[in-house]
Amino acid sequence: MATTVPEHFQGNVDHHAHTDHDHKPAFFARWFMSTNHKDIGTMYLIFAIFAGIIGGAFSGMMRVELAEPGIQYLDIFARWFGATNPDFNSTLHVWNVLITAHGLIMVFFMVMPAMIGGFGNWFVPLMIGAPDMAFPRMNNISFWLTVAGFISLLCSAFVPGGTGLGAGTGWTVYAPLSTSGSPGPAVDFGIFALHLAGAGSIMGAINFITTIFNMRAPGMTMHKMPLFVWSVLVTAFLLLLSLPVLAAAITMLLTDRNFGTTFFDPSGGGDPVLYQHLFWFFGHPEVYIMILPGFGIISQIVSTFSKKPVFGYLGMAYAMVAIGVVGFIVWAHHMYATGMSVNTKMYFTAATMVIAVPTGIKIFSWIATMWGGSVEFKSPMVWAIGFIFLFTVGGVTGVVLANGGVDDVLHDTYYVVAHFHYVLSLGAVTALFAGFYYWFPKMSGRMHSEFLAHVHFWIFFIGVNMIFFPMHFLGLQGMPRRYPDYAEAYQHWNHVATIGYMVMATSLVVWLINMIYAYTAGRKAEDSYWGEGATTLEWTLSSPPPYHQFETLPVIEEAAHH
Amino acid sequence: MAEAPALAVPISRRSNRRVAFIALSMALLMLGLGYASVPLYRMFCQVTGYGGTTQRADEAKAAGVQVTDKTMSIRFDANVERGMPWQFKPLQRTDTVTIGERDMALFWAKNDSDKVITGTASFNVEPEQAARYFNKIQCFCFTEQTLQPGEAVKMPVIYYVDPAILNDPDNKDVEQITLSYTFHVTSISDAKTLDHGGTGG
Amino acid sequence: MILGKTVLTLGESAKAVGRHFVAAMAFSSSLAITSAIAAPAAEAVPAAGYTPMKPTPGIGMPVEGGIGLQQQYSKLGEYGEWIHDGVLMPIITVITLFVLLLIIIIAVRYNRRANPVASKTSHNTILEVVWTLVPVLILIGIAVPSIDLIAKQYKPAPKGALTIKVTGNQWFWTYGYPDNGDFEVVSNMLNLPGQPTINNGVREVGSKPWDGPSHLEVDNRMVVPVGEPIRLQITAADVIHSFAVPSLWFKLDAVPGRINEKVLLVEKPGVYYGQCSELCGAKHGYMPIAVEALPRAQYDAWVLTHAGGVIDGQKPAAVAASPAAPAAVATEAASEAPAADATAAATAE
Repeated sequence: MATTVPEHFQGNVDHHAHTDHDHKPAFFARWFMSTNHKDIGTMYLIFAIFAGIIGGAFSGMMRVELAEPGIQYLDIFARWFGATNPDFNSTLHVWNVLITAHGLIMVFFMVMPAMIGGFGNWFVPLMIGAPDMAFPRMNNISFWLTVAGFISLLCSAFVPGGTGLGAGTGWTVYAPLSTSGSPGPAVDFGIFALHLAGAGSIMGAINFITTIFNMRAPGMTMHKMPLFVWSVLVTAFLLLLSLPVLAAAITMLLTDRNFGTTFFDPSGGGDPVLYQHLFWFFGHPEVYIMILPGFGIISQIVSTFSKKPVFGYLGMAYAMVAIGVVGFIVWAHHMYATGMSVNTKMYFTAATMVIAVPTGIKIFSWIATMWGGSVEFKSPMVWAIGFIFLFTVGGVTGVVLANGGVDDVLHDTYYVVAHFHYVLSLGAVTALFAGFYYWFPKMSGRMHSEFLAHVHFWIFFIGVNMIFFPMHFLGLQGMPRRYPDYAEAYQHWNHVATIGYMVMATSLVVWLINMIYAYTAGRKAEDSYWGEGATTLEWTLSSPPPYHQFETLPVIEEAAHH
Repeated sequence: MAEAPALAVPISRRSNRRVAFIALSMALLMLGLGYASVPLYRMFCQVTGYGGTTQRADEAKAAGVQVTDKTMSIRFDANVERGMPWQFKPLQRTDTVTIGERDMALFWAKNDSDKVITGTASFNVEPEQAARYFNKIQCFCFTEQTLQPGEAVKMPVIYYVDPAILNDPDNKDVEQITLSYTFHVTSISDAKTLDHGGTGG
Repeated sequence: MILGKTVLTLGESAKAVGRHFVAAMAFSSSLAITSAIAAPAAEAVPAAGYTPMKPTPGIGMPVEGGIGLQQQYSKLGEYGEWIHDGVLMPIITVITLFVLLLIIIIAVRYNRRANPVASKTSHNTILEVVWTLVPVLILIGIAVPSIDLIAKQYKPAPKGALTIKVTGNQWFWTYGYPDNGDFEVVSNMLNLPGQPTINNGVREVGSKPWDGPSHLEVDNRMVVPVGEPIRLQITAADVIHSFAVPSLWFKLDAVPGRINEKVLLVEKPGVYYGQCSELCGAKHGYMPIAVEALPRAQYDAWVLTHAGGVIDGQKPAAVAASPAAPAAVATEAASEAPAADATAAATAE
């Protein structure tokens, strides 16, 4: 990509160098009142890693409990959360708190902050040649609202929530379990957490939309934008249109709980099923919010390491738009068991299957991008190929679940758990690691160890498949989700999954070692360390980029490809 | 798509604010729609019978309905939410009615507690597709019901099945329609304080 | 802290994998022995009342290490199983393997050494049309049987079908029989040996010869007549539950304030287990469902073991076949097991 790079981009970032061009504020002002998109992006990434460790620890606690039938560890966990002498119900309640917290943390405080807050903040302005986000101070507020939301969610674990401490409603917070079924402030704290994180995300969405529409460098037309920017744009619109519906729904839950309204309470003419409609009207776009930026990251990586432009750029961009649009009209496939009418069920079955078409376009376009390329299997590329395969597995099981008649036997079983972890845990998280290895040297200025990154990939790949592939079997055999205990026949595959968790956890140790290596012994990263295939604007800057970039806007020439 | 490179040259604050304002309006619109969904959903259910919502007919409408020579079996189902100290039963489990002709079903409820309890009944019809043809002219579920301690009452529902059901392909296999009620506590008040204040009406 | 636990379980899990295979073998062989002993006794009983049926291992319940759907015992289940095993699974397996194959080809043929100079192809309209249209055709192929299955599932119950009322409660099920005198059966999970008491006053699993697997067996099963369509009406008394029996291809939410209705048809006599499938609070995992399908005469005998149980005009022939006299006997004979348990459970609640 032909760009004119302003000369002063020789910025080796030195924290103490207060030059005219690269003036950085002092520590507190820089990190707590930051208005710099790269600093905020970094904070989002650190926050997401922190939240991910907590959410991941919760899943570890669940896998340990599920290693064998019977209840072995939940009473210990109950004591960790501050219960003294928990009775059996409050012991079991801890399980529901774990599943709820794991879901909410991973969705709202890990994947979303990392994808949109972290990589989005870092690279959207860089890729479109903008000096910063459109509203830098609002960007800061978004971040701290997310942090406040997380703190509110953590607080909820230590206050009463019905049968025990903490909110045990599942991340879906279905009424009436979340209203009359869960007295105590825990669920209120949980709802408040969603309000805060949601407000932060809506502000972030407005910021991204404005930035992408208004702050592109000269010549950077919509149809020349890198696909990652496209993915963030579509994601921002999904956030903008879906999160307010969640906000309305959970606010009504809150008033049902505390102020005697009956929006979802049949005793006053309300309908609990309406809550599910509202939740999934948000919830289904939400899953695309989590995966679309991943699509964008994968597109950049596949193109870079194949040394080819993305195959079918327009098809790729508009496939994401199509996924976003169709994502709004398929929500009730999460509700096939609620007793819907035959015509409704048929409609949602058909509409849901339509999503497979743009998703297929994406998968095949990535493969076509690699086809004929000169593919270099550097760590981000290995992670990206892993993503393509794992997402395919998760995608095809989605086609199975789309069938309303088949869902009768699979709904709310481990098959569903396997499906959404293949697309989210194995899909979105794999995309996050791919993006991390792709951009880490750019962000930090230090090269990681490629060897360790490959080791990390293979151990992770084996681990997550060991965890989640057997869950398909458990689901087909009928094991329901959200169970702390199970019949003996389910023991075998649960065991395998628990061992898989340990394998996966080992891979994260390798990742941490790699990070320590990078910061202590890592080579200094060049500007464009992945070589000729990397063509987007961030590669024209130093690694790390200067504190302020593009003070003279780069000009994208006509002949430039994506 | 807007291919306007000129837009991006000066970072126009005014332009940024306009885009942000439009985006914010979209978010607020969706927030409003979220709240509006409650009455909209209710209206949708009432019009289409979605979710098994029965129709409400007035005397005039009911009088104009053509009585047919076909019959339909109706089942009555009664539930009480957990913890509500009422007994609540249909006085007949099933009934065979002539389609188009109005009929009356009686339910029986008894307050087993020593408190005055006001309850409201939620209701639906199964199979769901029959709901839009199930018309209630009079029903105890239209209003709250208050029972004194130990009081038992018989409560009527006057209804008819719209003959249009005979022409609906979705309903051609329907042999029996179930009308289900669930009573919920609206309020509980202490019998004694009420006796002091009230005149026994 | 977590890490320590994790390491600990890792060591144990290796042992346990070996152990549970042995346990499974022992379990199934012991079942075989007890069923051989119990069989003659069970045959003698029907006329006089009701003895719970002994479940057959592997039927109507999950199997150790199983990787597919549970065997189906309803027409719709067999159809659904065919759609899953015969249509969906082959298609998704082929697609996944096809993607894997393409990735392998890329790794072999288009790596940097094998193909130093990348092509610059970034468009191929025909290819793009093909990979849009082919999935559309595949999806239409899937949709045809899938939509048909949905249509069949929604076929209303025929005239005179027996109606059974299912109510989900925190954390047990009750089964009402409005067509058989309106009695109600309270169904609690059996307690697990070595675990805290889950349901007060309910015995431990394995204490009766007819007990099925732990976590799935209940004190009082939902007994249904075999081979006839049954109208199941499902509701809940507190929060949302979901009534699910995998081997009967049945799952329907129990929503408070409304009933949901669906037809259940069990083809073969047997015991079919399921579990609550919508998160409903602390003991969500401890409210299983056990459906026992019996021939009409035995079902009628079971009905008469309940106080107030009557056999109405559902199936006049069947009623005539079971005379009134044994009914009285049956009531007394059955006081031994399930009825007594039912009262115990009811008072415990």
